[in-house]
Amino acid sequence: MRWGDLLGIAPFLLFAILFLIVPTVYLVIGAFVGRDGNFTLQNIVDLGTPQIISSFWISIRVSAASAIVGALLGLILALAVIRGRLPETVRSTVMTFSGVASNFAGIPLAFAFIATLGRLGLVTVILKLWPFEFDIYRHGFNLLSFWGLTITYCYFQIPLMVLIIAPAIDGLRKEWSEAASTLGATPIQFWRYIGLPVLWPNLLGTLSLLFANAFGAIATAYALTGSSLNIVPILLYAQIRGDVLNNPGLGAALALGMIVITALANVVYLVIRTRAERWLK
Amino acid sequence: MLKKLMLSGSALAFCASATVAYADAPQAIVDAATKEAQLTVIALPHDWCGYGAVIDGFKKKYPGITVNELNPDAGSGDEIQAIKANQGNTGPQAPDVIDVGLSFGPSAKQDKLIQPYKVSTWDSIPDSAKDADGYWYGDYYGVMAFLVNDDLVKNPPKTWADLQKPEYANQIALSGDPRVSNQAIQSVYAAGLASGGKAGADAGTKGLDFFAKLNAASNFVPVIGKAATVAQGTSPITTNWDYNALAWRDGFAGNPKAEVIVPSDAVVAGVYIQAISAYAPHVNAAKLWMEYLYSDEGQIGWLAGYCHPIRFNDLAKNGKIPQDLLAKLPDPALYAKAVFPTLDEQAAAKDVITKQWDSVVKANVK
Amino acid sequence: MKPSKIWSWVIFALGVLYFLGPLIATIDFSLRIHREGYSLDAYRNVIQQPEFQQTLTYSLVVGVAAIIVGLLVVVPAAYFVRLRTPQLRPVIEFVTLLPLIIPPIILVFGYIRMYNSSSLLPLTNSAWGTNLLLTLAYVALALPYMYRAVDTGLRTIDVQTLTEAANILGAKTPTIIMRIILPNIIVAVLSGAFLTLAIVIGEFTIASLLNRPAFGVYMQNVGANRAFEPAALAVISFVITWVAMGMIQLLARFAPRTNARS
Repeated sequence: MRWGDLLGIAPFLLFAILFLIVPTVYLVIGAFVGRDGNFTLQNIVDLGTPQIISSFWISIRVSAASAIVGALLGLILALAVIRGRLPETVRSTVMTFSGVASNFAGIPLAFAFIATLGRLGLVTVILKLWPFEFDIYRHGFNLLSFWGLTITYCYFQIPLMVLIIAPAIDGLRKEWSEAASTLGATPIQFWRYIGLPVLWPNLLGTLSLLFANAFGAIATAYALTGSSLNIVPILLYAQIRGDVLNNPGLGAALALGMIVITALANVVYLVIRTRAERWLK
Repeated sequence: MLKKLMLSGSALAFCASATVAYADAPQAIVDAATKEAQLTVIALPHDWCGYGAVIDGFKKKYPGITVNELNPDAGSGDEIQAIKANQGNTGPQAPDVIDVGLSFGPSAKQDKLIQPYKVSTWDSIPDSAKDADGYWYGDYYGVMAFLVNDDLVKNPPKTWADLQKPEYANQIALSGDPRVSNQAIQSVYAAGLASGGKAGADAGTKGLDFFAKLNAASNFVPVIGKAATVAQGTSPITTNWDYNALAWRDGFAGNPKAEVIVPSDAVVAGVYIQAISAYAPHVNAAKLWMEYLYSDEGQIGWLAGYCHPIRFNDLAKNGKIPQDLLAKLPDPALYAKAVFPTLDEQAAAKDVITKQWDSVVKANVK
Repeated sequence: MKPSKIWSWVIFALGVLYFLGPLIATIDFSLRIHREGYSLDAYRNVIQQPEFQQTLTYSLVVGVAAIIVGLLVVVPAAYFVRLRTPQLRPVIEFVTLLPLIIPPIILVFGYIRMYNSSSLLPLTNSAWGTNLLLTLAYVALALPYMYRAVDTGLRTIDVQTLTEAANILGAKTPTIIMRIILPNIIVAVLSGAFLTLAIVIGEFTIASLLNRPAFGVYMQNVGANRAFEPAALAVISFVITWVAMGMIQLLARFAPRTNARS
């Protein structure tokens, strides 16, 4: 490693230390500080209460559901738009829109879905009219539920997937599919033996990104199902904001828990990817 | 620093000797505040108690002072947090004054986050609404009421008990998270009182049972009720402080038609308090702000925003309240029935409600 | 391949339905401010407020600044990691996941405590210092996306060969990065830039706690007490972000056509 190399990485590391790592360490230390200001493991122990465990569990479920569904649908959409021989304008429109939609979250998004699929939402009402005459709520659908939340989360998960996987799909050179079809491979065989394996590391990486994105998201869930959803960020905010519960140490412990879980997701991804990349440069 | 202390000390002495003149703030404070030239406030939405007009009035009266408004959407807890996070920071992120729920006063005093100050109109503030040492003091109150979208709700509920009726299926929401928001917690408390609970933890428990029943009957909608959700129809009935409900109703301007109903079976009043941060970068501006708020002008400014100022009785006795303002407020007879929970009762109920909301009401998203 | 083309159109159409549906519902609601008929008054109310223009300009400027700083931080690092120090990759990737795990509220509390008026780097004391802090916070928030976008872009070009060729021709590293690598990954960089801009325009927590007049803060204030204006504002912010991104895309047309896009 030459000096020049370190110089290139220096801005990144400096930035990371000053503006990411130190505040995080601050936080991690806070997890071990009790109300009285002394070192304690009580906050970590407090994480074991049923309420908090169930809140972590539902956070994981919501994040996983929206990450998997978002990744899948995003991949399909990206493939259709990029390799589906659609006009170039379609692709650029979709990419621009994805950039915008991937950050359309929080109260505006929650309200948009309420206005669409809520009990008095536009789509709900339209579906009740002729020629559909289908009341989705009578058939068990409820926007203010786990799957309703997942559907809402997909609004920013799918575009994120599209944006991030697009360059990777671009990297699937035309020459490869041409060579494969020359050798007699069907499209399915192409995807099975060439396309998906090449995309696999990127897919996993983006999946873990989507998971972390959903795990930390709070504004949308709060705005949609505010008083009935007990995901970790809501709990964390309640502790750290100190409005009523005021146990910042516990809040820090919750955040520490979040870091551990997302770090685990990342480790899994790294392991799988290193294996997959062995034959890829 | 010492000079400022001496100035404020002499100003206080001046105040103590001139309690009869409720008119303007002592000149010494005005001068010191103008020199500081800035006041940082937090969590004051312009539509809450007419704070927009109150702030404008302050700016007009003391043009040398810029008012720096932080985070209008903050909750009481956020304000306390802002003081804590900004200890040692004299930049514009540090709040000088806070306006928080009653129960935050004693804990803030204990945590040494606020400093005492007694405004010139101190004596006309009821004793039950202020700290004897002057650390915090009640500023206004309102009662818990319903905001009802008349276009969607043909037969508005008149009492808490009414809410359980099947005709209100999928219509009722709280206007905050009951694990965090004071407004939502007091809604639960009021429902508990209406269900026959005794003041304190018992009303908290009965309130939780009330909402558990409401949820089981599908009358309760777990969304956080806002003006938009009331108008759109997801939560045509929300529980708010009367001043918020009235402000939202005015904001609708007839679309949708809405009314504010104070439920007759339990009228719970909520008092908010003012305090000066112990780390306030602009102490004199903060004191001037307090003097303004507790002057007749400031108090009536709140009244115009539908909040009952803490010196309401004193102002009424001296005939200072304009008749047209009085006419816009809800029926005073209801306010006569208002229950002011004590600090202990609030604390006990809050403890029960925030800790047990999830397990009792079971409004958990499946 | 006829069948696949039909499928592509079907998928695209379904996508359009899903993504435009909520937007149409929001627009519909925002137009209903009066009892009868549709009206643009909600939009008028919003646009006429001077705070609207001020906060929007502020956020756009901060957004551009965040993109530039982000590129300065990420591109050299991604380049060097790919080329010379692959052993640092896990470290860097873990760092880029940090912003997704640390809730913004923790980040900003950390910043306020570390960079307030009584610290070594009193950034919060002045307006420009706080603006800098806000920009850096946004760079941090956008870091995962920026890094992944740039990394994916680098993955698709042959960095090794390009660098060696440039070296042989006598180019120094900064030149290589600026004039060879960057133009080749411009598409990927743009997607990172898109995301940064979108993040900045809608962001609320950090801007409000640092007390900066950002657009997200303004949106939240309007949303607290009004019924129809928030919907109008959501639509407007959506359109504005789209326009800003459209302009970035337009600039991309002037970038040299690269292998990756063929």
